[in-house]
Amino acid sequence: MKKILAAAIGAGALVALGTAVPASAAESPAMLSVLHGVPGLTVDVYVNDELTLDDFTPGSLAGPLELPAGTYAVAITASDATDASSPAIGPVDLPLDAGGNYTAVAHLDEGGEPTATLFTNDTATLAAGEGRLTVRHVAAAPAVDVLAGGSPVITNLANPDEQKLDLPAGTQSVSVAATGTTDPVIGPADVEVAEGANTIAYAWGSLEDDNLDLAVQTVAIAGMHSSPDGVPAGSAGLVATNAPESAASWTAVLGAAVLAAAAGVTILLRRRAGARVEH
Amino acid sequence: MRARSVIGSLWVPVAVLAVVLALGGCGTGTGTGTGGTGEGTSAAASGRDLQATGLATSPPAEAPATPLPEIPVSSAALEDRPALTGPAPVRFQAPDLGIDVAVEAVGLDDRGAMGLPANPSIAAWYRFGAAPGAAAGSVVVAAHVDSLEYDIGPFARLAAAPAGTRFLVTTADGTTHEYALTMTEVVPKEQVDWSAAFARDGAPRLTLVTCGGDFDYDARRYLSNVLVTAEPTG
Repeated sequence: MKKILAAAIGAGALVALGTAVPASAAESPAMLSVLHGVPGLTVDVYVNDELTLDDFTPGSLAGPLELPAGTYAVAITASDATDASSPAIGPVDLPLDAGGNYTAVAHLDEGGEPTATLFTNDTATLAAGEGRLTVRHVAAAPAVDVLAGGSPVITNLANPDEQKLDLPAGTQSVSVAATGTTDPVIGPADVEVAEGANTIAYAWGSLEDDNLDLAVQTVAIAGMHSSPDGVPAGSAGLVATNAPESAASWTAVLGAAVLAAAAGVTILLRRRAGARVEH
Repeated sequence: MRARSVIGSLWVPVAVLAVVLALGGCGTGTGTGTGGTGEGTSAAASGRDLQATGLATSPPAEAPATPLPEIPVSSAALEDRPALTGPAPVRFQAPDLGIDVAVEAVGLDDRGAMGLPANPSIAAWYRFGAAPGAAAGSVVVAAHVDSLEYDIGPFARLAAAPAGTRFLVTTADGTTHEYALTMTEVVPKEQVDWSAAFARDGAPRLTLVTCGGDFDYDARRYLSNVLVTAEPTG
C-alpha cells in the first residue's frame, strides 16, 4: 500500500514536472523579424493565414514580433492577393523556440528564384568592447568573400549561408567580392558594428540584374553586452578617508624640513670647513 | 576628520545612506533599478518612409479584412539605419558644486576597465552605454578624483553632494539634459555591481563614478568607488 502510494505520488510529481517545464518555457517568447530581400516585388506576408504585413517593400525590415514558441506557417503573396491561397513564396514552416531570436528572409536563391530562409540570430553574450558581425548571403550570386578594411574576414560564403565573427566594436569598411577575389561587387560601405549587439549584414539582390545591395539589421537583447570590470578613478590618495592625520602630515613635513635643514647645515659646515682650509 | 565633517553637514540623509551602504558592505547597487527587459532590436524604428525599388508597383489602397498587428517596419538599407546612440555628452556641470568640465567619449582600457582621461578635470562618458536622452539605461560619466600630477579633481566634491543636487549634461547637438541626485553610494570596489551601473535597460538615469574611501598607499589605489545616481528632471 505504501509502495503504491509512493509510486502514485512519484508519478504525480513526474506529471507535475512534465507540465511545469513547457509552462515556464512558454513564458519566454520567441522574437521574429522579417526581411524582404526579393528585388522588385511588393508583397503581403501571412502568418498562419493571418495577414501580418501589408505592402511589404523590398529592402524593408519588419519586427521584431514577439511570438509564443511554436511553429508558424508563413506565406508570402503578391501585394494584391486577398488571401494566402496562392503564395509566391511558401508556405514555409518556421519552428520558433522559446527565447530564440530569428529573422525570416524572403530572398532569391543562387539561381534567382524566390525563396525564404529562417536564420537564428546569435545573441550570446559578448565581451565588453566587442560586437558581433554576421554576414548572410541571400543574393542571386555565387559564393563570396567578405572583406573588412580590404582584408577577407569571411571566405567562400554561399547562398543561403551565414558566417559571423566577434570583433572590436566600431565602424568597419565592408565590401563583398566573388570568392577568391577582392574586386567588390558590393561596397565598400561603412558598417557600424555595435558594441554588445549582433550587426547582421545581408548581401541581397541579383548579380545578373546588377542590383546587389547590403541590408543591415542590429539585434541587441538584454544581457548580451558585458560591462567594464571597474572604474579606476584616483591614484593619489589626496581625498582618502584613511589619509594620515593632519598632525602626522605635519610631522612628515616638519621631518622633511628638519632633514633639509640638517643637510643645509652640513653643507654650510662643509663650506666653512673648506673655507677654513682655504684660509 | 573627513567622514565626520560629511556626517556633520546639513545633508545627513544622503551621508547616512552612503555610510550605511559602505558599512553594510552590500553595495549591490540595487537602488539603481533594473526594470524593463530592453528586449528588442534597434531596427524597431517605425514611421520611416519605405524605399521601394523601381519595379515595385503600388497596389490600390484597400482596407484589410482584419486589423493588422502593430509591427514596426523600417528600411534596412545601410544609409537609412537609425543612429545607434544619441549625441555624445561634451560638457558636465554641477553648478552648486562648482563643477564645469569637458566630457570625452571613452571605451575600455587595456585591462577591461573604463578608461578615463588622466586629467581629473576632464570627465569621461562610456560611449558603449546609454547617451543622455535615451529611453532607457544608465548614462555613465566618470572622472578621476585626484592625481599626483593634477591634484584633487572636481569630482571629489560629489561624495558629499546632497540629494537634489542638479547635474547638467550637454550633448554635442547643444541640448542640455538636467538630472537631480537621488542616491550616493560608497562601495568597496570588489563589491560594485557594474552590470547595474552600466545597465542599458531600466529607467533612464545618470550614474556618476569616481573613487573614494580608504586608499591603499602601496598599490596607489582607492579601495572604494563613489557612485552617484541622478534621475532626469524633465
